[in-house]
Amino acid sequence: MASLITCPHCGRRPKEEFSIRGDAVPERPEAAASEEAWHAYVYLRENPRGAIREYWHHVAGCRRWLVVERDNLTHEVFAVTDAREAATGDAA
Amino acid sequence: MTSSRIANVGLVDHSRVVKFSFDGRTYKGFEGDTLASALLANDQMLMGRSFKYHRPRGPVTAGPSEPNALVTIGKDARTEPNTRATVAELYSGLVARSQNAWPSLNFDIGSINGALSPMLGAGFYYKTFMWPAAFWEKVYEPVIRRAAGLGKAVMEADPDRYEKSWAHCDLLVVGSGPAGLMAALTAGRAGLRVILAEQDFRLGGSLLSETAMIGGVSAPDFAAATIAELADMPNVTIMPRTTVFGWYDDMVFGAVEKVQKHLAVPSADKPVERLWRIAAGRAILASGAEERPLVFGGNDRPGIMTADATRTYLNRYGVATGRKVAVFTNGGSGYRTAADLSARGVNIAAIIDSRAASADFAPYGVRVIRSGSIVDTKGGKRLSGIMTNRFGYDEMIDCDALAMSGGWSPIVHLMCQRGARPVWSDEAQAFLVPDVGPLFAAAGSAAGHATVSECLRDGAVKAHAAVEAVGRLVGHVNTPEVEGEYDPSFAPLWYVPGARSKAFVDFQNDVHVDDLALATREGFGHVEHAKRYTTSGMATDQGKLGNVNAVALLAGMRGVSPAEVGTTTYRPFYTPVSFGALAGTARAEQSRPIRTSPLHGWAKKNGATFLESGLWYRSAYFVQGEEKTWRESVDREVLNVRQNAGLCDVSTLGKIEIFGRDAAEFLNRVYSNAFLKLPVGKARYGLMLREDGIVFDDGTTSRLSENHYVLTTTTAYAAEVMAHLEFASQTFWPDLDVCFVSTSDQWAQMSLAGPKSRAILQKLVEDDLSDASFPFLAAREVQLKGGLIARLFRISFSGELAYELAVPAGYGEAVADAIMEAGRGEGICAYGVEALDVLRIEKGHVTHSELDGRTTADDVGLSKMMSKNKPDFIGKRLSTRYGLTAADRLQMVGLKPVELDKPLKAGAALLREGVEPSMTAGQGFVSSACFSPHVGQWIGLAMLKSGRERIGEKILVWDAVRSSEFLAEVCAPVFVDPENLNLHV
Amino acid sequence: MSIPFTHRHILEDRMSGYEPSPNANHLTVLRRPVIFSALAHAGHEASVAEALSLVENIVVRSVSPSDWLLVSQNAEAGAIAASLGAVPGLSFAEQSDGQVLMAVSGPDVRKILAKCVAVDLHADAFAEGESAPMMICRVAGNLARTGTDTFEILVPRSYAGYVFDELREAGREYAMTRGFGE
Repeated sequence: MASLITCPHCGRRPKEEFSIRGDAVPERPEAAASEEAWHAYVYLRENPRGAIREYWHHVAGCRRWLVVERDNLTHEVFAVTDAREAATGDAA
Repeated sequence: MTSSRIANVGLVDHSRVVKFSFDGRTYKGFEGDTLASALLANDQMLMGRSFKYHRPRGPVTAGPSEPNALVTIGKDARTEPNTRATVAELYSGLVARSQNAWPSLNFDIGSINGALSPMLGAGFYYKTFMWPAAFWEKVYEPVIRRAAGLGKAVMEADPDRYEKSWAHCDLLVVGSGPAGLMAALTAGRAGLRVILAEQDFRLGGSLLSETAMIGGVSAPDFAAATIAELADMPNVTIMPRTTVFGWYDDMVFGAVEKVQKHLAVPSADKPVERLWRIAAGRAILASGAEERPLVFGGNDRPGIMTADATRTYLNRYGVATGRKVAVFTNGGSGYRTAADLSARGVNIAAIIDSRAASADFAPYGVRVIRSGSIVDTKGGKRLSGIMTNRFGYDEMIDCDALAMSGGWSPIVHLMCQRGARPVWSDEAQAFLVPDVGPLFAAAGSAAGHATVSECLRDGAVKAHAAVEAVGRLVGHVNTPEVEGEYDPSFAPLWYVPGARSKAFVDFQNDVHVDDLALATREGFGHVEHAKRYTTSGMATDQGKLGNVNAVALLAGMRGVSPAEVGTTTYRPFYTPVSFGALAGTARAEQSRPIRTSPLHGWAKKNGATFLESGLWYRSAYFVQGEEKTWRESVDREVLNVRQNAGLCDVSTLGKIEIFGRDAAEFLNRVYSNAFLKLPVGKARYGLMLREDGIVFDDGTTSRLSENHYVLTTTTAYAAEVMAHLEFASQTFWPDLDVCFVSTSDQWAQMSLAGPKSRAILQKLVEDDLSDASFPFLAAREVQLKGGLIARLFRISFSGELAYELAVPAGYGEAVADAIMEAGRGEGICAYGVEALDVLRIEKGHVTHSELDGRTTADDVGLSKMMSKNKPDFIGKRLSTRYGLTAADRLQMVGLKPVELDKPLKAGAALLREGVEPSMTAGQGFVSSACFSPHVGQWIGLAMLKSGRERIGEKILVWDAVRSSEFLAEVCAPVFVDPENLNLHV
Repeated sequence: MSIPFTHRHILEDRMSGYEPSPNANHLTVLRRPVIFSALAHAGHEASVAEALSLVENIVVRSVSPSDWLLVSQNAEAGAIAASLGAVPGLSFAEQSDGQVLMAVSGPDVRKILAKCVAVDLHADAFAEGESAPMMICRVAGNLARTGTDTFEILVPRSYAGYVFDELREAGREYAMTRGFGE
């Protein structure tokens, strides 16, 4: 795991400032979606080797939720974006 | 005397005598000595006994890779085992003891293991102690533990302070030898922020023992001048006594600085060690190279050390390691050491050169045995002779020390800690650093260069690249001329054939060539297998000295190239790091952040006993008068709350202010119950679910104005709920206009409960608190007498008439004092979380004992909290799936033991009456239990299969842990005021 | 009955008996600053930031693109609340009792703070006037550089005792004194 993460708002910060929620790929289904879709959203996770997308929370910093794209093999971090930006497609 | 100090030679201060002791005997050394150099100067070559065979051992190096000279330094609580004497800085009053010898270093009974060595080969643990199994714990392990091992840790607490600190730089230079100094100088002159870290207490690395002239001055003088220039640069930080032990992601390096380990009595104002995390833009590894021992019969006798170590003791410390020193070499290094020894008047017994010919010059009159080898050695606590062999002819040569050189291995560890493997080079006959990208480069002999001039130049070149990369101009740095260099070439010699006694590969772990051969024969030839099978490269040593030899030997035995064998995995730490340094200030009370309630002082002066609750200290109960047990205090508090009134600190609840046009809609989506129509000035109990339909947390939320709410969470889930709300807002519904901030710390919050609470509170509050104007669930700002604005919530956890009053934290203690004063006539008492727990169990209110991550709202009787009308809320969809609505789920019920004196305990299992107790027959469990002074017996809340249908049933409470078994009656989970009459008075 | 409630600083107990005359390195605990959390609603971030920069007698500390802490040593809370109330798209909550303000100053201040925060405080990286939320002594707080050798720390009240103790340990090597101040 990375030692330092570059928060888009706060700059380079130690990993101790963050907490990791996990996979950022599944999207919350519509309320009326099938039980299978909800089951998949809540329980089913890919376990890829290599590039992953995760939700990180900058708990001890700006308290923004971030989407961290990184490689779980090489530990390289490709991008860190504000989750709201990722969700809406515009700047937070 | 065979090893001795040479007057006025070296960098030690001959005018400053330092007294120290070793195994109870007092010795004298000089300032600038290591413990090893000072012991050698006193002719104490024997410094330890080996791990397995208890063989007598002396130092084989003069640096951090030392496998043999491990000693225990310090006294009492400051005792530190397994310290390498070769790097231990000598100080006045140093007390050192040898290890792994009994009764003494000179006479060690354990050395009989050496005689038994045929039985103690590689893998002997696995083979010998297989049977009988029971013997392992009782006989074998204790015996082995006593016989083999290193130093012993002391049991006293460490009295010293430790710290951690961060450092930041453009360029980190690891090592201050020729390459490191030139790299630091080049980058420093260009204005980069440079950190130069050196594990030694003296900077200069190999320059300190170098006899070549650099730029017309001696190598140590050149080093001193360069260091002086660096020290004057404000952008350069020099860190002596600092070992960079680990390379982590994103160019973060771990280092440990020995701040005060060289002082007999450290100052209490400073740490003894400091753990550094260094965030570097770039780094240069200038860690040098390790000279390899030669693997020949009897190569472990005290007095046999590397040529480089011999030279270091001579040139840096002014210590001759013997009176008559033999040299065994496969290259120029041996000749260089011989020349230095000879120049200092030390006799050279002979140079045994494994090569048939070379261009190296032996000192005048010194005999050179070409194509020679050593096949055995003699001597007890010190070498007394070597058996040489040339073309099959033996010759015994007397000597009291031997300098050996088997070539050089770059010290590549740091660069290989993140997965990259070192790369074998046939040309260099060594493993070289891998390419790990542009940010981290090796320089000097760590990069495979051998001579001083090459190292100086390479340091400058590598720093040049770093300077250019950050867009700075490189200042003018001349690489000085070097005179008097040697020819560093050598011919590979991994194993000296014809050994007549054990030829050791890993000195620390007593691994010899036959062990590796055995491992290979038995199918453990893979380098990682061989390591475990033979223990080669294990323990504190981690193969620093012997690994490359071991790899090459395995390669030879398997008939492949060392490249194919590869190395074992390198991991941090390069050298051992103390637990103290890793813990830093995080000890005892400071081991984690402690949160203090604004009412802590109030609780304390009212006699509170505190309990840890997460990071908080909460008041558990308040002992009064003659109360002997906590139960007496808690019973009194509970009864008093139900009869009169009580005041409890609830400041630890999470408080979140929510603002926005869509705040109501947002709350409606995060709570399972409806929130759209909550009126201003009202509080509502809310339940939050996880997306899987299980209850997450509960609390009350109050609407303070149209678009302003304050939400409370449980103490335990305050942080989680805040993060949950932020996540929902930022990722699920970014279009909702809502924002939050935690105000948990702004408010001191206290619960005033009991039938007399209104009367008491009214004395302090300007606003009318009658039931008509401030009814149940009212929530609004009120003014206290004197003008202070507070928030008042009429909510109840106890089931009694109750209020929660929130005032700015700084006023909390004064307001609580005033309430106690105002309530004295009404019989108010302070009550703690234990009484609070009893009150809520009596009332059947849930906490996280019931909401344990497995329960649904319906399980705990809160199905009315599940809105049927809302289109969506977190947890809605999956809360209706089959598993969560099954009729045989565990449901919350009340429990009362049939016999009044039976104590009910949380965690006990519930079984049908009459069945044989077993976990498989379980019907549920007790989730909360207490003695209820109101009911007059122990009561509990329990999760029971189809529980609500089973009211009135007798059920077996089985507590296997506490060995109790009795019947209890299942009842409704409310033991007091089931009609809620008390709430609405 | 009118009750003059006494206000109590959480660090009061830790302060009594400490040296009165400050050394070169000194930790000042500000007794009664006025502090607010300011939150910009979505879409109003820039205009709120601009408006905050115009509010008199406050300094603005960055928390996130939509979140600030406002600190004042010389204004009444009511006056600040009134100014904030007039800013469209801004919500706020008083935190004067929820946050503790400490100032660390002196020639060794960066060495002291390097033991407390992971952020590079070199003037090139963290200039005078800058502020940022960060972990301070393992507690989520806010750090600002208010001078060449002066930094201000904000931490939640309940953690202040712990952070104060850590700072005191960190400053011991440099003879850092501490006391209340304005």
